[in-house]
Amino acid sequence: MLNFNTPIIDTKEYSEIKISEIEPILKINLRGKNRDFITKIGKELSIITPVDQNTSSSNEKLNLLWLSPDEWFLYSNDKLDIKDANSLEDKLFNEISKVKLGSVTNVSDHWIMINLKGTKIFELLSAGCPFNFNNFKNSKGAVTQTLFNHIDVIIHNKNINNLNLFVRRSFSSHLWSWMNDSARFI
Amino acid sequence: MFLINCPYCGERDQSEFSAGGEAHIMRPKQPTELSDDQWAEFLFMRKNIKGVQFERWNHAHGCRKWFNMVRDTSNDKIHAVYKMGEKPPSK
Repeated sequence: MLNFNTPIIDTKEYSEIKISEIEPILKINLRGKNRDFITKIGKELSIITPVDQNTSSSNEKLNLLWLSPDEWFLYSNDKLDIKDANSLEDKLFNEISKVKLGSVTNVSDHWIMINLKGTKIFELLSAGCPFNFNNFKNSKGAVTQTLFNHIDVIIHNKNINNLNLFVRRSFSSHLWSWMNDSARFI
Repeated sequence: MFLINCPYCGERDQSEFSAGGEAHIMRPKQPTELSDDQWAEFLFMRKNIKGVQFERWNHAHGCRKWFNMVRDTSNDKIHAVYKMGEKPPSK
């Protein structure tokens, strides 16, 4: 795993909206098609692999998000130390990639996680997303991949008025500035 | 702007998708045996009709999966959406 370098390191609070970057977080992309792969992930992570569209499952340490019928996104709840992150990645790599069951890719440095909290977060999102959040905001654990101010994002609804947003590193500073600008007027 | 019902993710805005052109164009089994005109016909020539058309679409900003769609190009009315490999609905 590379050394974590974060481009933002900031927390901002507005009325009813709190935006904070949370890093370093372990993020792993998992891809595979067959049933053995899905069973293996569940077994190795002690987590039920979500197979329904736009859903996720969690345990104390990890969250597993459905991205597509053959792709999942794994991220840690807490800031992990590098040693823990490496051991989990190695474990998955040995059990899945090495036996050609699927692919395991560490994307910790590829995505930036931004946490949004507050009663007006969906108003902020609606200002730049084409996605309809009406059902999403009331379903805990819901996941969506969509556009936010024309930028690809993954949104995980952790809890009511508390969500994690993942954006690619190269877009993160721009999206961060845009969100802060927009949040001031909501 | 219109809504597209992705067979994997559900209903999403059209801005999340990219169009991939006409669907169900078979690649010739022996390309080397074709004349230049026949190869050009396969490679470039599309019907591009005004009316109901079978198209390929990609959910580029979502699940990134390809699928097929039956769409009326004159009014963007979507008649059917089906996964790759599935039998197209009868005309």
